[in-house]
Amino acid sequence: MASFREFFFGKKSAEDAKSRLQFVLIHDRAEISPGLFEEIRNDIIMAISNRLNIDPSYISINMDEEAGERRLLVDVPLKNARRPTATRSTADTRR
Amino acid sequence: MDSVVITITSGKGGVGKTTTTANIGTALALMGKKVVIADADIGLRNLDIVLGLENRIVYDSVDFVEGRCKLRQALIRDKRAGELYLLPAAQTRDKTAINPQQMIAMINELRDEFHYILIDSPAGIEQGFQVAVAPADRVLVVTNPEVSSVRDADRVIGLSEALEKGPAMLIINRINSARVRKKDMLSVEDITEILGSQVIGVVPEDEEILSSTNRGQPVVLNSKGSAAQAYRDIARRIVGENVPLTMPSNGSFWQKLFGRA
Repeated sequence: MASFREFFFGKKSAEDAKSRLQFVLIHDRAEISPGLFEEIRNDIIMAISNRLNIDPSYISINMDEEAGERRLLVDVPLKNARRPTATRSTADTRR
Repeated sequence: MDSVVITITSGKGGVGKTTTTANIGTALALMGKKVVIADADIGLRNLDIVLGLENRIVYDSVDFVEGRCKLRQALIRDKRAGELYLLPAAQTRDKTAINPQQMIAMINELRDEFHYILIDSPAGIEQGFQVAVAPADRVLVVTNPEVSSVRDADRVIGLSEALEKGPAMLIINRINSARVRKKDMLSVEDITEILGSQVIGVVPEDEEILSSTNRGQPVVLNSKGSAAQAYRDIARRIVGENVPLTMPSNGSFWQKLFGRA
């Protein structure tokens, strides 16, 4: 889309280049491919939702890097802190 | 002699390693240093043609390693720049012709006689790269302000750190300050932030480079152009002079608005 902004200010593709590189380099440096990362993500969601009542669509799992230290950040909002004791399958049906 | 061995590498091909090596080596020699520039790109040699010395090769580094000549016989003097010598690569062999130990032994033999030995690494991260980096005291990584080249630079920076070569320094080549100002090209600041490495030089995109390589005359020999000046500045920083890095500015609000160069 040749937007108003693009027309007057140019394409500013450098921002895209920078953010895409930062994303890909986190994966490159950790030697975790986006595909493997996706599998890990699914495993984590599965493990948690087997035990807790969560909505998988609100889970965010990201790789982050700060001052050369890489970390996996997992943020899981809890819908209901109680264990779904009798009905382990509830979480599955929500996916 | 207190010699320094510097390997110039990049990961990605075509970013300007050979031109950069030729110009920095020539600039160092013009400053009165005794310099060898060694082509480590066996099978795809190009330093000879970029320097205009392609008709003078008799022996190459593989001839030396395999005992067919003395190291002195393989060195070709470039009379235009004082004490500048080319150590050519073999053109009809492959990267397995010299192993890292042989490379280290060969370069060590030059250390007694020369101030600077620059090694032009082949592209890639396989054996050719490993051999080129093996004897290095310092590693310089050439990158263009472009995603694939920056990504590959990150790889070779990591690999040379793993080989305990100290922190590699960056040469950002072919920057176009007008496009940086329009935010349509990664800036020097962007690249240093992404890679977390120090910059030893920024070389602008310059039409003069093509005409000078066409003629086999490194720009530092006789040009006052911006790329030639950038190469001379890198050479001065290598010898330890404090030359401030001139980063292309991102321009004023009005420059941004009208996209002026």
